[in-house]
Amino acid sequence: MMTFDQNAFLIIFTASLIAISCGLLGVFMMLRKMSMTGDAISHAVLPGIVIGFFISGSQRGLEVIIGAGILGIFATLVIDWLRQKARVQLDASIGITFTLLFAIGIILINLLAYKVDLDQECVLYGEIAYLPIDLWISDSGFNYGPRITYLAVLNVALVGGFITLLFKELTLTSFDENFSTVMGLPSKTVNLALMSMVSYTTVSSFEAVGAILVVALLVVPPSTAFLWTKKLMPLIKLTCGLGIFIALSGYYLAYLVDSSIAGMMVAVSGVLFLASVLIKGKRPKFTFELPRSKNGLSLEDKQL
Amino acid sequence: MITQVDNPILEIHDLIVSYDQSPVLWNVDLSLPSGKLIGILGPNGAGKSTLIKAIMGLVTPSSGYVKIFNETLDQVRSRISYVPQRESVDWNFPASVLDVVMMGTYGKLGLFKRPGKKEKDIALSCLEKVGMMSFVNRQISELSGGQQQRVFIARALAQEADLYLMDEPFAGVDMSTETAIFHLLQEMAAQGKTVIVVHHDIHSAMNYFDWIIMLNLHLVASGPNEHVMSEELLRKTYGGKLNLLTKVTDLIKQKDFNPLKS
Repeated sequence: MMTFDQNAFLIIFTASLIAISCGLLGVFMMLRKMSMTGDAISHAVLPGIVIGFFISGSQRGLEVIIGAGILGIFATLVIDWLRQKARVQLDASIGITFTLLFAIGIILINLLAYKVDLDQECVLYGEIAYLPIDLWISDSGFNYGPRITYLAVLNVALVGGFITLLFKELTLTSFDENFSTVMGLPSKTVNLALMSMVSYTTVSSFEAVGAILVVALLVVPPSTAFLWTKKLMPLIKLTCGLGIFIALSGYYLAYLVDSSIAGMMVAVSGVLFLASVLIKGKRPKFTFELPRSKNGLSLEDKQL
Repeated sequence: MITQVDNPILEIHDLIVSYDQSPVLWNVDLSLPSGKLIGILGPNGAGKSTLIKAIMGLVTPSSGYVKIFNETLDQVRSRISYVPQRESVDWNFPASVLDVVMMGTYGKLGLFKRPGKKEKDIALSCLEKVGMMSFVNRQISELSGGQQQRVFIARALAQEADLYLMDEPFAGVDMSTETAIFHLLQEMAAQGKTVIVVHHDIHSAMNYFDWIIMLNLHLVASGPNEHVMSEELLRKTYGGKLNLLTKVTDLIKQKDFNPLKS
């Protein structure tokens, strides 16, 4: 039997907010052909989380977010450096960088296991069903409500503000980075700012939905929406709408079969994407062109 | 055959650019006059695009320097406009023709500011100049190659610069578009703007450019059209690749002529 109580509302609301934050950033990651970099960041932040956790002694500390942010940017820089200076293929440099950093994170968790209440399961899968019992209670004992919901609200506000403020720069650097550089707009800084936001969103969401679902939310809703529209604003709106739909249907389907909510959300988004491909794929006029890898567009590959 | 000018708008001094260890531009040293339509000619792989990118600071030279309006690049960015090669971007990007042309105004607009009516008007007038008024709201993924090229030129015009650098603006463009764009560029030169164009059709180069740079890793020539457009210099630039002078090509083949050795 379907129920809609306060807990269901809180879980769906929080999951929708996380899906919107990821979708907003995911649109620009997709347009930059950097969806896989988002994947890399979401795993590479692990050592940062562990170190931040170790320093602050709690997973709620600001140190955790700062640690993750630094590692996210570090991963981006290493990927770029490997590609440009060491001439490694983009996909290979992503694979090398994030697995290495993730492994370091796992080793750190094991080494510090006696001090850090954190395990790989939590980082990878998260568990949004525990959200209603993880409350934010003030020192005086006042109950503000679920902590992760507050994190998600703050996250969506910051991501929304970031995209609004830098909309013009993000669009231009996604379309034509060289042109932006030539005009004197700081395209490298804009890029790093976007990566920092992705790192922060990953950390903010990982307890609830885990790194795997974060990746799915970064990549799948934007790609699905891009099958349906070729305009930027509708693309962003549709991505957000899909995020909400995925949260809602993911929750009730998980409820129905008594399974993981996060897992069901990813499954729903995957099915939506496949259905979109089948429907839109029939019309040759609007065929979906697979994103070309970013290194196909890089400076050194072009003819002299 | 390199003509240097007084009070150049662009001065390149002993420029060497290398990718990995191999140099792709050797000792390029030239100066260009203002208010001219200038063509860069040379075979594929001659370093034409690299020269443009070095001027725009997109590749870092191994040695030498570039001065524009007698200043360094960073001081004069707002006075320079750039048309990259059409293939350098993904035209599947979700943007309309107007969106892309408005991007030309972003440099002057600065960080955080949103484009408004003024920027839109600039973009529209630039689209009119390239004859794309009926495509204003069209998505760029639905344009033909020639239309994409016009959009890029309109975007460069929207920068309202004094110096324009265009990388292969005529690649994949039909004859009537090419003629229309050339007339537009001549008009701009007549208004005192300097337009530098990477080009490889020698016929139209002879007809339209005021000044011609010939490049094949080394600088072969830089000077007024009528002075440098000679068979000898073309042969030096294109070597065996020159289709235009078929007889010469045969001759070159017989003598195993290699421009890289000269």
